[in-house]
Formats: sequence, structure tokens, C-alpha cells
Amino acid sequence: MFLVIGITLSLPSIGLLFLDNASQLSNKIKYEAEISVFLTKDISEDQIEFIESGLKKNSLIKNIHFEPKQDAWDKLQTKLKLSSLEGGISENPLPDAFFISLNTLDSDQIANLINDLKTIEGIKEIVIDGGWIKKLRSILYLIKVGVYTLGSLLIAVLIIVISNTIRLQTLTYQDEIEVSRLIGATNSFIRRPFTYTGIIYGFGGGLITLGILKVIVIIFNLITHRIEDFFGGLIVIQNFNLKESILLIFTAMLAGWLASFISAKQAIYRLEKNI
Amino acid sequence: MDVLQDINLEIDAGDLIFVTGSSGAGKSTLLKLISAVERPSSGTIVFENQNINFLNKNEMPYLRRKFGMIFQDHKLLYDRDCFDNVALPLQINELDPSDISRRVRAALNKVGLLNKEKLMPITLSGGEQQRLAIARAIVSRPSILIADEPIANLDKNYANEIMNIFYSFHQVGVTVIISSHEAPSTTIKHKEFNINQGKLNLEKNVPLLT
Ligand SMILES: Nc1ncnc2c1ncn2[C@@H]1O[C@H](COP(=O)(O)OP(=O)(O)OP(=O)(O)O)[C@@H](O)[C@H]1O
Ligand SMILES: [Mg+2]
Repeated sequence: MFLVIGITLSLPSIGLLFLDNASQLSNKIKYEAEISVFLTKDISEDQIEFIESGLKKNSLIKNIHFEPKQDAWDKLQTKLKLSSLEGGISENPLPDAFFISLNTLDSDQIANLINDLKTIEGIKEIVIDGGWIKKLRSILYLIKVGVYTLGSLLIAVLIIVISNTIRLQTLTYQDEIEVSRLIGATNSFIRRPFTYTGIIYGFGGGLITLGILKVIVIIFNLITHRIEDFFGGLIVIQNFNLKESILLIFTAMLAGWLASFISAKQAIYRLEKNI
Repeated sequence: MDVLQDINLEIDAGDLIFVTGSSGAGKSTLLKLISAVERPSSGTIVFENQNINFLNKNEMPYLRRKFGMIFQDHKLLYDRDCFDNVALPLQINELDPSDISRRVRAALNKVGLLNKEKLMPITLSGGEQQRLAIARAIVSRPSILIADEPIANLDKNYANEIMNIFYSFHQVGVTVIISSHEAPSTTIKHKEFNINQGKLNLEKNVPLLT
């Protein structure tokens, strides 16, 4: 029984855990929209200055970083570890560029801004970065809704499972319930042993859930540790903290109580109809 | 169809009452109405100047605790031993465990079953089961004792023993209500209500025989 509850609860809990970690991860990543503005190749210094001063006046723009084509070329070469001679490319193929971070995330505003920029002479191409963060967030949000829905469903399943077990117990103790009623037991007295059982089921099941989570987190982190070079040590799953763990157990106990309360109430109701 | 009709009777505190009648006359039904186990479909039952029809569902258990009820089919719990059977009413009253064991032993002693407290009821004879049911009824020291055909299937000697237990409670002021098929053969002052086909047939006051 404890195991059934533990496993049922661990499914949405694992979902929540990963979700929690994923949204923390997405918070760590700098959360701002960036656009890259590439200029035409034969642009003059005057034009660059003109464009820069124009950009600086725009209120949507937070930060401008100008990267001359030579800098970009040098960077690329060191990155690829080749010199211009070895590569056989004598001419710098890269354009001058502005990297701009914005004050807004509103896609309409960004689109307008891009349209404005496109009309400026000397600007060849505009690329938006940072949109993926937004997409990641909305995907995370969707997953969150999914996990919550799944969680509520599974808690409903849990309540049904526990109440079914308790119902079987009330059938076993039918005589006890009947006799107790006849000699003056209150309904809450009759329900008590069953609700205790339900709460204990919830508590034990919650503990098992925490155990399952602990094992999964350890295994997951062990695996990611092995391939840490690949991920750059970014991904380490954090288990629930104390408060969240207590909340989890409390939820399980509440489900156990509710389930057993319903079953015991039904058992008494059946008797009331019979007598 | 109503099981009981036109029943009108009064019982005073400390009375010894016999409810007689043939099988199916409605004796058990009358006792269940008196002890608040069942509710009447019509008519009123007044207990200690209170119309119990007006009691709500939550108050009924507390009223039931005032009666020591011995059911026709005993209603013992066969999955717990004699001690635990007798302890049940005290557990319902939420007494201390030490008080419970003291009073359970006293009740078992009263019916002569103290040496069988650890036995399961199923291993007891019919008469012993009857006495166990009596022990459970008296353990919470009710002022009213109600017994539904307590000697129906017992031989004469055993029946006399059981009846003497009830008489001894009557002697110390307990109201005792007993149902049976035949009229009682006792010399003690008592009242007899004879029921026939759900109607109060005869009410008889029998004074102390000397
Ligand atoms: N819950 C009930 N609903 C409807 N009818 C009932 C119910 N209980 C008993 N009866 C009927 O009421 C009648 C009287 O039953 P009751 O048990 O009171 O008789 P009794 O005098 O105790 O008989 P016995 O001596 O056999 O115990 C019977 O005809 C029985 O079928
Ligand atoms: Mg009867």
C-alpha cells in the first residue's frame, strides 16, 4: 500500500522537481532580447557614427556594442585556430556589426524597431537573438500546466486507491461498526481508526516518495556528472528542500485522511440505511 | 405496514418490566424503540421528560449510552476476546485504560466469566455468551438494563442463574426490562406488558408475592 502511494505520488513530484530546476536554470540565463545589426561591407566611418548616434537616441535600446569587422575576424580565426594565410582567405568576409540589447521583450515593439532599422541606409541584415529564451519559458509554462494537471489527476487516483482499501477494511469491520453504533458510539468515534489508517498510509507513502526522489536525483546527477564536460557542469538537479518535502508529506496525509473519511462515512451510511 | 400499533405504556425508574408475546409479536421492535436504537415512524417516546423524536442524529449516541442493551442475537464481536468485547462500551466512553481493565474485570466477575477473559466468544457455550453480553451491557453501569429474550435457549437451571443476575440489578435500583415468550415466574413485584400482533394486549401489575 505504502509503495503504491509512494510511486503514484513520485510521478508528479519528479515532474515538479525537474520543472523547478529547469525554470531556475532559465532564470540564470540572462533574460533579455538581443538583436544583431550587420552593416554593409563598404560602409564608411561617418555612416557608422551616424547609425550609432541614431541608435543611442532610441528609447527601446538599452545597450549598444559595436564590433568592427577586423575584431570579429580575429576572434573567429583564434577560435578556429587558423591564420589568414593557412586558411587561404586573404580578405575579411565579415561585416561590421552592432550588438544591441533591448529594454523590451514585447514582440510587436521589437518588430516595429526592426522595420525602422531596416530603412536606414548602410544596414544590411538584422538578426534577433534571445527569442528562444522566451520560447523556452512558454514551453516550460506549458509543461508546468501539464504537470499540475497530471498531479491533480494522480492525487485523485491516490484518493480513490486509498479509499478503496479503507472501504475493504470497513467491510471487514462491519460488525464492529454496527455494534459500536448500537451501544452509543458517535460517528466520529467510529471513523477514527479508519482515518488514522488513511493518514498513516499518506505519511508512509509520502516518505517513500521522498526516498524514490532522492534515488532518482542521485542517479541523475551521477550521470550528468559523467558527461559534465559536455554540459559545462550547468545541470545539477536539486532535490526538494525541507519545506517542500514537508508540504509533499502533508499533501499525502491530507489525501489519506480525505479518502478514509469518505470511505468510513459511506460505511456508516450503509448501516444507517439497513437498520 | 406498521409493526407496532396503539402502544401506550409508561415505565417508572426502578421498575422490573416484562414484555411478553409470541414470536413476531413485536417485542424486539419495542425494546429497540425504547433504547433509541430505532426511531418510530409515528408517535412519541418520552425519556426523562424529553421527547426523543426531537433529538438530532448527533445526540442519539449519547442517549443510547444510558441503556445497557442485551440483544436477542447477542451481537458479540467474534474477532476479539471476552475482555475486549466487554471493554467496547468503555472505549466508546473514552475512559482511561486502567479504569477500563478494572471495570471490565468487575463486570466479568459479576457474570462469573473472569477466568475466561482471554477466550474468544466463539469458544463459549450459549449461556456463557449470554452472560458475556450481559457483562458488556452492565460494564458502563447504566441505570436502565434492557434484555431481549435473554433465556430463550437455555435450560432451566442456567435460565434461573441468568434471571437472578437481572434481579440483583433490579434490587440495587436499576430499571430492568426483559422480553420473553412466556409470563415470568418470579415472586418479585413487577409489571408485565403482553403484546399480541403489534398491539398492547394486556398490562398486568403483579405485586410482591408473600
Ligand atoms: N426493520 C424491520 N422492518 C420491517 N419489519 C420488521 C423489521 N424488524 C422486524 N420486523 C417485523 O416486525 C415483526 C415483529 O418483529 P420483532 O422482532 O419485534 O418480533 P419479536 O416479538 O421480537 O419476535 P421473536 O420472539 O421471534 O424475537 C415481525 O413480523 C418482523 O418481520
Ligand atoms: Mg425478538
